[in-house]
Amino acid sequence: MKIVKLLNFWETKKLLEKYRIPFCQSCLVQTKKEALKEADRIGYPLVLKISSPKVLHRSEIGGVKVGIRNKEELEKAFEEMEKIPGEKEGIILQKMLSGIEVAMGVKRDPQFGPVLLFGLGGIFIEVLEDISLRICPVSQREARKMILEIKGAKIFFGFRNLPKVEIKTLAQTLVSLSQLAVGEREIREIDLNPVICRGEEIKVVDAKFLR
Amino acid sequence: MRNWERIFNPKTVALVGATERQGSVGRGIMENLLLGRDLRKIYPVNPNRKEVFGLPCLPSLSSIPQKIDLVLIAIPAFSVKKVVEECCQKKVGGIIIISAGFKEKGSEGKKWEEEIARLVKIAKIPLLGPNCLGIIRPKIRLNASFSPLMPKKGEIAFISQSGALIDSVIDRSISENYGFSTIISYGNEADLTLSDFLEFAGQDKETKVIAIYLEGVKDGRKFMKVAKKIKKPIVALKAGKTEKGKKAVQTHTGSLAGNQRVYSAVFKQTGIIEVETLEELFDIGKAVAWQRSCKNGIGIITNGGGAGVLLTDYCQELGIKLPKLKKETLKILEKSGLMHHGYSKRNPLDIIGDASFKQYQIGIEALLSQKDIYGLIVIQTLQSMTNSRRNAEVVVWAKKKWKEKPIVCCFLGGEGIKEGAEVLAKHKIPNYPELKRAAKAMWSLIEANKK
Repeated sequence: MKIVKLLNFWETKKLLEKYRIPFCQSCLVQTKKEALKEADRIGYPLVLKISSPKVLHRSEIGGVKVGIRNKEELEKAFEEMEKIPGEKEGIILQKMLSGIEVAMGVKRDPQFGPVLLFGLGGIFIEVLEDISLRICPVSQREARKMILEIKGAKIFFGFRNLPKVEIKTLAQTLVSLSQLAVGEREIREIDLNPVICRGEEIKVVDAKFLR
Repeated sequence: MRNWERIFNPKTVALVGATERQGSVGRGIMENLLLGRDLRKIYPVNPNRKEVFGLPCLPSLSSIPQKIDLVLIAIPAFSVKKVVEECCQKKVGGIIIISAGFKEKGSEGKKWEEEIARLVKIAKIPLLGPNCLGIIRPKIRLNASFSPLMPKKGEIAFISQSGALIDSVIDRSISENYGFSTIISYGNEADLTLSDFLEFAGQDKETKVIAIYLEGVKDGRKFMKVAKKIKKPIVALKAGKTEKGKKAVQTHTGSLAGNQRVYSAVFKQTGIIEVETLEELFDIGKAVAWQRSCKNGIGIITNGGGAGVLLTDYCQELGIKLPKLKKETLKILEKSGLMHHGYSKRNPLDIIGDASFKQYQIGIEALLSQKDIYGLIVIQTLQSMTNSRRNAEVVVWAKKKWKEKPIVCCFLGGEGIKEGAEVLAKHKIPNYPELKRAAKAMWSLIEANKK
């Protein structure tokens, strides 16, 4: 089996920026002091996440704390996270966003090359498997079709009191990801999940790149 | 573009491994080749025989006194390479290796196959196979296969990775009255691949629709490029292979984007209509071969309420639109003075169980006269006064009058609809004994219009 490497925080951030895929405001900190300082800059509520080259699905080891509303909560969450054993690159501090969660991804098919995935985000992607796929590169038009093809597409048009999602902007993000997949051949698999959408604002909250 | 003429329309064919031995592949192919003996020269080759079915049998390819377009090879795998070498020396037009026992058998067979592939690439001779049934072209009575049956000529090109499926497909096509332009069993794809045959069928004048059975493609990107370029409808049935052991480290995308789903994406992106069953492959193949594609907007006529409701449900599931009937349409029906007082006055147009062909005629005329009805599904349930033959004749009449609007029939029943079904098949109007199949056929005509 090939040796798999998970890109670290900085590599991930750089790659997303290169292809103009908007990343949620985030920073990597090492100490509590640093965390408190950055928290004031980003503003509450916040999310803390463990950053480790060894952990692919961090919620499985309790490596995600959401809804941190103030300094006290941050201190407590930080201490708990520090206790998680294993190699760590640091702790990610992130602005907590709300909106419609979607997932995007890429894998390489031995026959057809990079395959782009779209679906509803969070854990639902695995439960419902409501996804659509296309072979890269995809055009804006094809990306639009991908979005509207999933069974849950109704949710993007303002369901109950949920925010609407601008399909055009979402499709553009998919096109950018498709360009990344074609341009960065050494990347084997990508998971952007969740990507939080609210109107025209599309932000990648969690990104995993396997090399 | 390759020169396909010498493989698909050969003037001279040699069969290496020709024999009269009962139950042998060599005999099966020989008998099939003889069906076209008045159209092309046939050379049996076998060093152990003087004569096969009255034709002089030659010891080797080199002893054939003229140029050879197509060489068929049906001898044990280990001796095939030598014959391919002879083919290269003789500069034949194309080769079909029927023999099995190559890549599919193990490492030794794989080695032979690779060596053969190398030889024909250097000599620039197209090779089909190995491990296949061969090809069949009913229109020119070319049956270069060991299939026990000769299909009717028709408009469907069937390209199949499985050889064994083909015989059953032909058998069924004969009883259901549809035919083929070409049948290709492509085997191991040592040289020519599915994409090449797709390209051939795409430019073949006899072919109106391409039906594919596949397990996987060998050249993904080329396959997509070729499929996208072809303007004819393509229908595909992909057999799934259970995913091999999952990798230890995998993203959600990695585990969700399985083989079958990737293929479905490929089909969507290239405008290929994907089907789930063999029955559907030819239900749709037949519909698209026989009828024009159309925009979304379908009329339904029925002599049974329940059947109309069921079909409406299926249409809705498939996204088939059923336009409302216009005033002018209803006027045609009223003015005829023939309608039952309880007829439905909407789409589906229920002309009530006692309808005769006259009510069908008026109903069909009214529906097809409406501009935003682009196609028609005719349902016939069997009532004591139903005359399926007369009803079928009305459909044929309508088809002639509204050439641009496709008609799909659903004559429900068995023995009682036989006569009608025969009339329909004769005039290339697809008929299905099940409402869902008729709905799917109409759906495919709408899909085909998008390509």
